[in-house]
Amino acid sequence: MILTGQAISESVRSGDIVIDPFQPDHVNPNSYNFTLGPSFRVYKEDILNPKKKNQTEEIWMKDGSIVLEPRRLYLAHTRERIGSTKYAPTYAARSSVARLGMFINLSASLGDIGFVGQWTIQLFALHPIRLYEGMAIGQMMFWQPKGEIELYEGKYQGAYGPIASRIHRDAATPAVGPDPVLVAGE
Amino acid sequence: MLLTGNEIHQEVKRNAITISDFDARNLEPNSYGFRLGEDLIVYDETEVDGMGARRTTSVKIPEDGYMLDPDRFYLGHTYETMGSTHYASEIYARLSTSALGMFIQTSAPLGHTGAIIKWTLEIVVAQPVIAYPKMLIGKICFWENSGAVQGYSGRYAGCQTVVPSLLSAEAP
Repeated sequence: MILTGQAISESVRSGDIVIDPFQPDHVNPNSYNFTLGPSFRVYKEDILNPKKKNQTEEIWMKDGSIVLEPRRLYLAHTRERIGSTKYAPTYAARSSVARLGMFINLSASLGDIGFVGQWTIQLFALHPIRLYEGMAIGQMMFWQPKGEIELYEGKYQGAYGPIASRIHRDAATPAVGPDPVLVAGE
Repeated sequence: MLLTGNEIHQEVKRNAITISDFDARNLEPNSYGFRLGEDLIVYDETEVDGMGARRTTSVKIPEDGYMLDPDRFYLGHTYETMGSTHYASEIYARLSTSALGMFIQTSAPLGHTGAIIKWTLEIVVAQPVIAYPKMLIGKICFWENSGAVQGYSGRYAGCQTVVPSLLSAEAP
């Protein structure tokens, strides 16, 4: 079962859902509208390799906006810290954003119970699009789980800002050489 | 309701969910992490006929990887055979995959109750990415059904590798 907007608001009050900052006027019938932060990460390398730490650079909006180049991956982040220790989150673009010609994730809309942080979202525009800081870009939904809950303790827990893929830390794609030291945001 | 990782584990143990082969380390809080199988196919046609027969080229991903081209569309498959006669399922990319610029399905996440198969994946990349066989690439989640379960007997039942679109079977 999916939570209604009212149930999301009540869960934020009770602490079962974290949405910080929380704005009551961002509550929808079945979701909460989250907003776009001002910083992004893009890969510096031409070919990405899951077995290594791929280099990224951080870019920021200028005067509160940025124009995305078409068909380029931008790792962005929600301004809000979002998560739940009781409900499974999924997220989607707002229909108004999808209608601009942009994906906000690449088939990765399912989150994990227990992750709490700023969400890294994956922007992929089909033509140049100007985006603004704080625009309501996506919507988070919460689903009732069945079964005993074991909270997320993965490699993105507590994320702040846009995070590059940490796939090289998976056992299935072990990085060549020692695990590189991670700095904030990478 | 969406099954937690613990519930998925319980249902695998009592054979209400099939994940083969199963590794408890790949359980997530509300999903199971699956891997990429070694076979890819690409369409050879310059114009893909929605109802026509497919001409395809197969590629085996070598151990040292295969570079995916952002101008191409690939079909891949899950390494695991997965599904359930009790639950509906959906497949999604992991954040680690999507944040590397890789779609693993193109707006088609739903797996029907009763389909126990190696799932064919639709792979599109934003920029060149190297794919490795058996890399953790996606996660499958399971939903409780409401209503009588009919079971899947569609054209992809029993798939054990990557399968191109068989929509031509619906041609008038």
